[in-house]
Amino acid sequence: MDTNRLKQLRADTDLKRDLWPDMRRRLDARTVRVPLLDWALAAAVVAWAVIFPESLLALLYHL
Amino acid sequence: MLDRFAAGDLVAFEALFREYQGPVYGWIMRIVRDRGAAEDLTVETFWRAWNARARFDPTRSFGAWLRRIASNLALNHLKRRGAAGFSLPDGGMNATAPQNPAIEGETRAAIARAFGELPPKLQAAATLALIEEQPYSEIAAGLGISVNGVKSRVFRAVRILRKKLEWIRTD
Repeated sequence: MDTNRLKQLRADTDLKRDLWPDMRRRLDARTVRVPLLDWALAAAVVAWAVIFPESLLALLYHL
Repeated sequence: MLDRFAAGDLVAFEALFREYQGPVYGWIMRIVRDRGAAEDLTVETFWRAWNARARFDPTRSFGAWLRRIASNLALNHLKRRGAAGFSLPDGGMNATAPQNPAIEGETRAAIARAFGELPPKLQAAATLALIEEQPYSEIAAGLGISVNGVKSRVFRAVRILRKKLEWIRTD
């Protein structure tokens, strides 16, 4: 195996474009996304309010 | 700047991103040798760094931390990709290196195949050491192993490569 040959096979490692827009899109996507647990919690609150509507007043009182 | 990043300052993160995206991309590109994959993995590296910012110690080297993350992602990419994905620059060897017309066609394909068939850890160490000529100390720091560990991996890789490429005349 000729090491001189291998040396000439280096990859072009220069970055050709700014990757910040890609990073920004990724960050923004996470900001908008609501975690599954939050949806489950909201659903549980709604279900609780439907089953026990009188508890809404108590909930509002504590908020 | 690093303190602000660790505290979740997006402006500081952007400044660090712009400063380090080139070196991180270059490091990943040296391992995976695929422009698109290297770009994706660069963004993924910073994404993971951002999510782990609370665990980052601002007194440590940010670049070294990123390189470790990048190396792990690049190795995972090699595992997923398999042997077929290893590519050599297409006629376009590094602009700084003189082009050798002898390395063409079958020989180039054989070299790419031989490197691609190496286990990912050996492939990364061998590519960085033999093709990219990175210092062993840098490879060790980037891969999170000792210099002797790098030497061992390169030695094992060379043994395998020699067997696979022994038919190539070495002048």
